[in-house]
Amino acid sequence: MRHLRHLALGAPRAEGRRSLAVQAKRDWGAAYVLLAPAAGLLGLWFIYPIVDTVVLSFQRVNLFQFSQRTYVGFSNFHQLLDDPAFHHSLFITLVFVVVVVPAQTAAALALAAVLQGVQVGRTFFRTTFFLPYMTSTVAVTTVFMKLFVIGGPLAAVASAVFGVANATWYAQPNLALAFLVIVYVYMYIGLYVVVFLGGIENVPVELHEAAKVDGAGVVQRFRFVTVPSVRPYIFFVVVAGFIQAVQVFDQAYVIASNGAILGSPAGATATLVIFLYQQAFRLNNLGYGSAAAVVLLLIVFAGTVLTRRLLPER
Amino acid sequence: MTRSGPLAGTTFPRLASSVAKYSLLSLGALIATGPLLFALYTSFELPADYPRLVALSRLTLWNYRYVFDNAPVLRWYANTAFVTFGVVVGAVVVNTLAGYVLARIRYPGRTVTFLVVLAVLMVPLQAILIPLYLLVAQFGWLNSYQALIVPFIANPFLIFLMRQAFQAVPVDLEEAALIDGAGRFRSFLKIAVPLTMSGVATQAVLAGTWTWNSFMIPVTFTTDPNQYMMTVGLNSLQSQFYTLTTVQMAGVVLLSVPVVIMFVVFQRLIVPSFATAGIRG
Repeated sequence: MRHLRHLALGAPRAEGRRSLAVQAKRDWGAAYVLLAPAAGLLGLWFIYPIVDTVVLSFQRVNLFQFSQRTYVGFSNFHQLLDDPAFHHSLFITLVFVVVVVPAQTAAALALAAVLQGVQVGRTFFRTTFFLPYMTSTVAVTTVFMKLFVIGGPLAAVASAVFGVANATWYAQPNLALAFLVIVYVYMYIGLYVVVFLGGIENVPVELHEAAKVDGAGVVQRFRFVTVPSVRPYIFFVVVAGFIQAVQVFDQAYVIASNGAILGSPAGATATLVIFLYQQAFRLNNLGYGSAAAVVLLLIVFAGTVLTRRLLPER
Repeated sequence: MTRSGPLAGTTFPRLASSVAKYSLLSLGALIATGPLLFALYTSFELPADYPRLVALSRLTLWNYRYVFDNAPVLRWYANTAFVTFGVVVGAVVVNTLAGYVLARIRYPGRTVTFLVVLAVLMVPLQAILIPLYLLVAQFGWLNSYQALIVPFIANPFLIFLMRQAFQAVPVDLEEAALIDGAGRFRSFLKIAVPLTMSGVATQAVLAGTWTWNSFMIPVTFTTDPNQYMMTVGLNSLQSQFYTLTTVQMAGVVLLSVPVVIMFVVFQRLIVPSFATAGIRG
C-alpha cells in the first residue's frame, strides 16, 4: 500500500524522466541489493546448517574424515531409541526444566509484583536483579563453583541451614544437577522480572484499590488481582523459559571441563545438548550427534508453536 | 495516590508492608550481587589469605599481576575486543539494511523473506553447531578470527528488531525525499537511519554483549590458546590454576567488568531490549 501511494504521489514529478514501471523496478533492484548481504550470510550460516543438521542425522560421519558421508537411513534415530545415555540425557533435561521453569517463573513474578508496589528505588532494584543475566555464564559458573566447594561459603550455609552434606556440589552426583539449577536460575530471574514488570505495569491501579477496599490483603491481591491480570505473561515466561532451559550447555560444560567426558560427575549434568556435543566433538560421531540435534530442534519448534498460539500478537 | 515519599502519611500496617517489601527486595539484591562482590573482593586477596576475610589494607593487585604474567590474558582481551567489534560493526550494517528493506520496500518475495526470518528466529545455535563447525573447518577457519565473526553477523532476531524499528518511524519524510529524486540508499542513510538510532544502538548492545559473553562457539572453534576469547581463557584458568581461587576470581573480574560498566551506563536502553531478546537469547 505504502509503496503504491508513493508511486502515485511521485508520478507527476517523475514524468519525462522515468516511467512508473522503471521507478518500481529500480526499487526492486534496491531491495535485492540491500538485502543481499543478510540473505547471503543467513543462507550460508543459518539456513544451510539447519538443513545440513537434518541431512547429517541420516548419515554416518566421522569428525576427522568429515568429507566422507555415508547415508544410513534412520539408523541414527533407531540407535537413539535404544541408547541409555540418550534416555538419561532426556531425563536429566526433563528434571532440569521441571525444576528451573516453575522456580524462576514464581520467583520472578513475586519479585516483579513487590517491585511494582514500591515507589523509591525501582530502577536500582531492577538494574541489580538484571545484573547476573548480563554477566558471562563462564564467569558466574566459575564463581559459584568456589561458593559451593567443600567448606565454601554457600556450601557451608546450605549444610547449616538445610542439612545438606558440606561437599563440593558440582563433584557430587546427587548435588551436581541442583548446582546447575542454582547457577542457571540465578542468571535468568532478573530477565523474567523485567518481562513481568512490563505486564504488571498494565494492571489498572483501580483493580488493586477496589480489592483493598474489599479487605483483600497483600497475598490475596497478588493471588486474585496480579496473577490473573498477567496470565498471558506467565504463559509466555513459562514457554520461553522452557525453550531456553532445554538448551542449557555452557554451565554444564564449565563444571566438567577439567575432564574429557562432559556431563560429569557420573552423567549427573549430561543434558541433551551436552549429549549431542559429547557425541559430535568428543566421540567424533557427527551423524549421531546431529540426530540428537534434530530432537532438540523438534522440542524447540514445539515450544515456539505453543508461544505463537498463546500470544498471537507477537 | 497522594503520598509523595515511600513513608509519607503512613499508618502502621502500611509502614510494616513497606518494610517487608524493601526487606525482600534487598534480599534479592544481595543474592543478585553477592557472588559478583565475592569475586571482586577475593580477586584482591592474597592466595594465602583466602578464604578468610582480611582488612582492606591487606588487599593487593597480586592476582592480577600473576594472571597477566602467567596466562596470555592481554591476548585474550584483544581477541575478545576484536571479535566483538567485528560482529557489532558487521551486524549493524547488514541487519539494519535487511530490516529496512523488509519494513519499507515492496518487492516480489518479501512475504517469503519475512516468514523465513520468523521461522529461523528461534533456532538455537546448539542445534546447528555441528554443520557450522563443518563449514568453518572446510573453509580452513578453525582458530581464526573470521570463524568467530562472519557466521554471527546476520542475525534473524536483529533483522526482526530493525524491521520493527523502521516500521515505527513515519514514512512521509522518506517519501518526500524519494519524490525529490533521492535514491533509495540515500533516503535510507540520510533520513531513515537517523530516525532509528535507538534501534541501531540496541542492536549494537545486544550483538556486543552476546559476542563478548559467548562461550560455546569459541570453545568449539578455537583450540590454540592464543586464539581464545576471554570466556574460554577464563575456563582454562580453572585447570591451569586449580588451587589458586583468587587468581581465577581476578579472571572473572577482568571478563565481567567491561560488560557490567556498559550495562550500568546504558541500562535504560539495555534492560527493555533484552526483555524482548531474552526470549530468543
